[in-house]
Amino acid sequence: MNASFVYQVEAKTLNTGLTSQLGKKLGKYRLALDVPEHTADVQLYDCFDQTIQQSNRVLYRSNDQLTLISQNGLAITQPCDQPVNFVAKLAPGQVKTELADVSPLRALLAGTKGLQKSVQGKLLDGNAKTVARLSIQCWAASPDSNWHCFITFEPVRGYVKAQQAVLKALANNKALQPHQVLSPTLIFNALGYIPSGYDPKPTLHFKGKPNAITVASQIIHTYIDVARANEAGVIADYDTEFLHDYRVSLRKVRSVLSLFKGVYSAPQTISLKQAFSEHMNPTGQLRDLDVYLLEKDRFYSLLPASLHQGLDLMFTQFEKERAAHHHKLSKRFASQAYQQAMAALSAQFSANSNVIKPGPQAKHLAASYAQTLIWKRYQKVCKIARAIDAQTPDEQIHELRIDCKKLRYLMEFFAPLFAAKSIKALIKSLKVLQETLGLFNDYSVQQESLQAYLATHANKGTAQHIAIAQSVGALRSVLSHKQQQERDQVVAKFADFDNDTTRNEFRQLFKQQESS
Amino acid sequence: MKIIACYSNKGGVGKTATSVNLAHALALSGKRTLLCDLDPQGASGFYYRVKPSKKLQHDAFFKDVDKFTKSIRGSDFELLDVLPANMTYRDFDIFLSRMKNSRSRLKKALKAVNNDYDVVLLDCPPNISTLSESVFKAADHIVVPVIPSTLSERTYEQLLTFFDEHKLGKKKLIPVFSMVQRAKKLHLETMERMHKRYKKTFLNAYVPFSTDVEKMGVHRAPVLDFARNRPAAKAYCAIWEELKQRI
Ligand SMILES: Nc1ncnc2c1ncn2[C@@H]1O[C@H](COP(=O)(O)OP(=O)(O)OP(=O)(O)O)[C@@H](O)[C@H]1O
Ligand SMILES: [Mg+2]
Repeated sequence: MNASFVYQVEAKTLNTGLTSQLGKKLGKYRLALDVPEHTADVQLYDCFDQTIQQSNRVLYRSNDQLTLISQNGLAITQPCDQPVNFVAKLAPGQVKTELADVSPLRALLAGTKGLQKSVQGKLLDGNAKTVARLSIQCWAASPDSNWHCFITFEPVRGYVKAQQAVLKALANNKALQPHQVLSPTLIFNALGYIPSGYDPKPTLHFKGKPNAITVASQIIHTYIDVARANEAGVIADYDTEFLHDYRVSLRKVRSVLSLFKGVYSAPQTISLKQAFSEHMNPTGQLRDLDVYLLEKDRFYSLLPASLHQGLDLMFTQFEKERAAHHHKLSKRFASQAYQQAMAALSAQFSANSNVIKPGPQAKHLAASYAQTLIWKRYQKVCKIARAIDAQTPDEQIHELRIDCKKLRYLMEFFAPLFAAKSIKALIKSLKVLQETLGLFNDYSVQQESLQAYLATHANKGTAQHIAIAQSVGALRSVLSHKQQQERDQVVAKFADFDNDTTRNEFRQLFKQQESS
Repeated sequence: MKIIACYSNKGGVGKTATSVNLAHALALSGKRTLLCDLDPQGASGFYYRVKPSKKLQHDAFFKDVDKFTKSIRGSDFELLDVLPANMTYRDFDIFLSRMKNSRSRLKKALKAVNNDYDVVLLDCPPNISTLSESVFKAADHIVVPVIPSTLSERTYEQLLTFFDEHKLGKKKLIPVFSMVQRAKKLHLETMERMHKRYKKTFLNAYVPFSTDVEKMGVHRAPVLDFARNRPAAKAYCAIWEELKQRI
């Protein structure tokens, strides 16, 4: 009794071939196919980073139904009569529940299209009684392409002989290709799905024993590409992650320039830093507004209803400003000048380019160069962290956060040069510490920027301004309290990080043995 | 799991028609349903195109619970299975009376499918005998089709007397009018009289006399399948709706 088998067949038309091929082998049973007149349009959805496909699932919409097929071939469905964008905005349902792992910040984007038909096959005995069923799922990339049909057998209780007859006929048919389940991969193939290939953190592969400048240029080249992959999404304004990833990528480029000291010549480094800053700066305000708007619900929840009026006024302004900034940045990204500037920057770092002026450390072997940088940074982190107590000024905590971030970047950049398992574990434990520091910083930045906002906006002296000022004041005190709470965590989190195992690992991986 | 028997001490009143269509209505409303054809004629199996089971030997039937469940057939409708009539059921009554402790054995066999079904519907053959008595015990409810005629009125009275004499729970009885012809004055009068007499025991919904029911033999399918929007089909749904409130 093996009912969990799927047989695949490719066909130009659905009806004739299969019926006559299988029908002949079914003895006294007759195969009846119910082929629907209409095909349904299928629209696949996934995030830009392919969260759904990466986890081996297919999400598609067809006929106002949203269907999610998981790795084991199980399909769940929910009605869907609204445009699909964020998981959070889907109507409650099974599919929504199953998509809980998709980032709330990422929009579901319409991707590959195709066609679908569900054919019901019945095996009939002499009384025209159904004694077995075949469910045939057919997929095609377009009206002109072949149908990929997946036949699943469904037994009817009590009809063992019929079941054996069908299974035998299916198994013996050479045209049919057996699969364990109707997996997402099979559907992707049938629809000719081409993944976007976007990876915000691509794994770098270095050839042989690279030197420092090779590694630096390769990282920079990679992250310029990552940044640029996000431009279209920023313009289309699908979600805020496009701009965020764009900025993170450019920040990584800049940190290579500042952390890899002496790899490029000093004037070269300065001019590159400046070039990248020129691309980064125009994105800052839009990002700040994005963050506010993402925090909107939380801000409301932090304040009593009596202070919501000020928030209403403030967020209305934010939305207006955001629209203006988005318009401006979109124009910039679409402009020829920008496109050319980015392309030129990228070309400088390509493998066969030699326009970049090397510095004194350029030929240093990357591995030992990395060890030096990481070990130094690690020691600095420990030194600051171990000195922290209740009296330490906030500036020190900020300092620690920045050094942790630099350490993390260095480890991630150079990761391919070290044993993957060890370095991954170290990065993971560093991440935990960084989370606390990150929150500490977010609360602090939000207070400052709210204050700055108050100073520069909101028509001083008007009733509006007073309402906003009241709300902002209250918000700042809540945020300040939260910041303090995170700060109190830092010492404990560092103590967790600063254990014997981690310390030994750092020493072993990154401390260079003095050659005697 | 609920066991509902469809029974009458009179033949040809529409027991099979009611079982077959009720079973389908139940399945359509989402209940996992098993229709048991206890009549050796195998009429309800016929309507579902299920052949009478040859394999079942009557002694094995109640000894081997596994065989009982193996002889169940999936119908052409979702959630609805059929236990076909056993060809050797001809001596069903005698067989049962010979068996000691038959009631609990029958119950046991029925309980073997406990997890599989929400409702088990029994289409019974038409006479009061040991089998019927054991069915009365096993069933949670007994649907009794009654044709609204003077004769049927008396037959129903006899059934009540039988229940009294054998100290069976009359509350299980759920009479429903069958083959009702509204054009017949006699039918209407009888219905009114019996509604009054047996206060609130008769269902308000009833099965009308309908050629659709007769056509079931041609289509070999329940009326809801081929005449979904016609009065008979709607009547069976209404009966199930009302029955649901009682059970
Ligand atoms: N509502 C109805 N309208 C018209 N004809 C009906 C109706 N119900 C049943 N019949 C017909 O009456 C005959 C007897 O019906 P059915 O077989 O359902 O009764 P029964 O009580 O099961 O009979 P038996 O006692 O033989 O088992 C059948 O030919 C059937 O088609
Ligand atoms: Mg009958």
